Amino acid sequence: MKRMLTALSFALGVGVAGAQQGILQLPLINDPIMNPLIAPELGSILVNKVIFPGLVRPNEDLQPVPDLARSWTITNGGLVYTFTLRDDVRWHDGRPFTADDVVFTFNTARDPKSGSRLASDFSSIKSVEARGRNTVRFVLSRPFAPFLILLGHNAGILPKHLLEGKDLNSATAFNRQTPVGTGPFKVSRVVPGASVTLVANRDYYGGAPKLAGITFKVVPDLNTQVAQLRSGGLDWVTLEPSNLPSVQGAQNVTIKQADAIQHYLVFFNLKNPLFTSATVRRAMQYAVNRRAIIDGILKGYADYPTGTIPTALRTYYDKSIKPITYDPAQARRLLAQAGWRPNAQGVLVNAKGEPFKFTLIVDKGNATREQAALAVQQDLKKVGMDVTLQTLEFATLVRDYLIPGKYDANLIWWTTPPDPDQYSFYGTGQDNNEASWSNPRADSLLKRGRETVDVAARKNIYNAYQRLTMQDPPVLVLYYPKELQAISRRLIGVPDLGIRDALRYTERFDLR
Amino acid sequence: MLSPGYVARRVLHALVVLAVVAVVTFFIVRLAPGGPSLLADPALRDAERAAIEARLGLGDPLPVQFLKFVGNAVRGDFGQSFLFGTPTLQVIGSRLGNTLILAGAALTLTLLVAVPLGTLCGLRPHSWLDRLVSVVSVVVLAVPVFWLGLMLIIALAVLRPVLPAGGMHTTGMEGNVPDLLRHLLLPAVVLASASIAELLRYTRSSVRSAARLDHVRTARAKGLPQHAVNRRHVLKNALIPVVTVIGLQLPRLVGGAAVTETIFAWPGMGRLSVEAALGRDYPLILGVTLVVALAVVLFNLLVDLLYPLIDPRVRMEA
Repeated sequence: MKRMLTALSFALGVGVAGAQQGILQLPLINDPIMNPLIAPELGSILVNKVIFPGLVRPNEDLQPVPDLARSWTITNGGLVYTFTLRDDVRWHDGRPFTADDVVFTFNTARDPKSGSRLASDFSSIKSVEARGRNTVRFVLSRPFAPFLILLGHNAGILPKHLLEGKDLNSATAFNRQTPVGTGPFKVSRVVPGASVTLVANRDYYGGAPKLAGITFKVVPDLNTQVAQLRSGGLDWVTLEPSNLPSVQGAQNVTIKQADAIQHYLVFFNLKNPLFTSATVRRAMQYAVNRRAIIDGILKGYADYPTGTIPTALRTYYDKSIKPITYDPAQARRLLAQAGWRPNAQGVLVNAKGEPFKFTLIVDKGNATREQAALAVQQDLKKVGMDVTLQTLEFATLVRDYLIPGKYDANLIWWTTPPDPDQYSFYGTGQDNNEASWSNPRADSLLKRGRETVDVAARKNIYNAYQRLTMQDPPVLVLYYPKELQAISRRLIGVPDLGIRDALRYTERFDLR
Repeated sequence: MLSPGYVARRVLHALVVLAVVAVVTFFIVRLAPGGPSLLADPALRDAERAAIEARLGLGDPLPVQFLKFVGNAVRGDFGQSFLFGTPTLQVIGSRLGNTLILAGAALTLTLLVAVPLGTLCGLRPHSWLDRLVSVVSVVVLAVPVFWLGLMLIIALAVLRPVLPAGGMHTTGMEGNVPDLLRHLLLPAVVLASASIAELLRYTRSSVRSAARLDHVRTARAKGLPQHAVNRRHVLKNALIPVVTVIGLQLPRLVGGAAVTETIFAWPGMGRLSVEAALGRDYPLILGVTLVVALAVVLFNLLVDLLYPLIDPRVRMEA
């Protein structure tokens, strides 16, 4: 057998071509759209982080530090942001980068008709103007504390000289083949369905990158990604906890966990009278064994939740809040208080004898979420709720159930920028508040939180909000997941961040 | 020879089939739940969602959308792919060649392995070779394609790295034929596996039945040597149904390579069809379906046209 394999490899040009010198290989699941304003999914966002720097980028504490901007001042009570730009930046095509590019990018980004997916992130901008070649002034219509964080999140700067007057979505050559940014790597070749090859940008303003290049390879299947990681065809794969056993024995791979700014939760549709009482929602926090979900399904790679602000937001997360632990007896007591008592069959019924009956939906195909939904269903059954589990394909779940509000309960997750502002998710009547939660005190805290620029004052506001959501939970938060990274031991110089933020520092990466 | 009327009838037939496929696909995918994945981000605000819908032309009533589609289609315009932002035919064009390479390799493997082996088994039923082949082919048919693919990747790319774990080229070596062949081997074997097993069983039974025909017995009785009997009478007769089966395998190789292409990260049509379906990329789903339907129709036509050439009895009817 061994001889046969040797003969085979010889016949086919001897062995797998060893990883090319200094080329980092990362996976994508499909072809990216290389334009930060319209990138629809994570893969595209990751590629864009390398090609298109923003004015600022997040440091290891997720706070904004200078990138294309050298410095900035905030005046008029948080309404005016003035950025001084670097004067040594060139686009990948050699043209100089100027304040006009920044003005063009944000005027386009905040116009929903342009096809921008960042319109709501920047709806607070009243005007943006160039004051000379290297100065940009933003005037906001209201103080908006997350502004700087959002500038460092997905808002890569686009070249005005190539895109002005064009419909963003129709600029196919730019978006798919020849994007031009200012980042440490520039696209040299795109093979549709196969790979995007980037080479080091020797003129990068932050100094020459250490790597010779980065190849994003399209590998749609996660199992194949893991196989390629083990065989040296990829250097960095983010995993689901269920994939862990397949990499744990590998010599060339190390497992790292990073904070993900996400909270996984069950939405309850508060238009359904079953869930309107805060006591019922509090009862569910006692009824669901979240520790068991974290330890069993997520193999421990998640933090136990207290409210909707994840632990990853270290500056704002209040550690002193005591988590609600699994206590089905307490859940039953609270449910009894809210008028739900078990009947002879053990099913909870109200005074009219109506059962506590609802359907929990979850998206199909992700083992972690499906198992978590099953655990939630089983735990709620134990306290007498009659819960039916329904799995739906994700697009169907969102389009036909979540957005029209046609659901009882729904297991889903939010990925937020590294800022505690959750007004659009939990503010009364806001677009992303699909649960229709409404609490006047929360509204006032969330509004004040996004308008307060002072960090210490903001911290107090969000601590108060976090406490409030323990009493009147808008949703049932299940866990704050960790991003599980399987990384080749050859790769060094990666900052301690999740992959999307770490890719803002690719000029520091190296392969030994 | 074939009459022009026969050919014209077959071509008209093909056009009708394609039109029906287009209509059915159009309405089925639009009526399916969900919607374009560009809209499936729960964090999108209403204004952003409305802008995307307007851009994709999803605001019109379904019949209007259909009429627009027909109007454009007759002019050869199958619309812009939602996911790629480029004309559908261009996206398909960039992937079709890759699939034909994979399907061609799989077909070659199938023919090289299945026909000779099936013939041998058919001529020597119940021999040790026949028994072994029959067990192996049943196992191969029973094993899911993705499992077989992953096992081969683990065996030959991870544990003993002789072949690449996926992709079509080593990056930077596009156009290098030996490199392409190395990448081609595993997916072609996996894609061919089920076809080999199926065609092999079919060839075997076809050869067996042909061997029992009266005129074969007569030839043998007249003292013709066994190899001459096999060549002149058995194989010639056995070949006809085998050609039909090959004709039926072809569209499956072109259109049904989705799992293989996904596992091996092969940038072909199969994977494109999965991407299109998951992304609810209506124009692309339609385009891919039509191309695969065209392949089915063409291969059937080809088989129909080949038939009279290998079987004189069919020539009479045609």
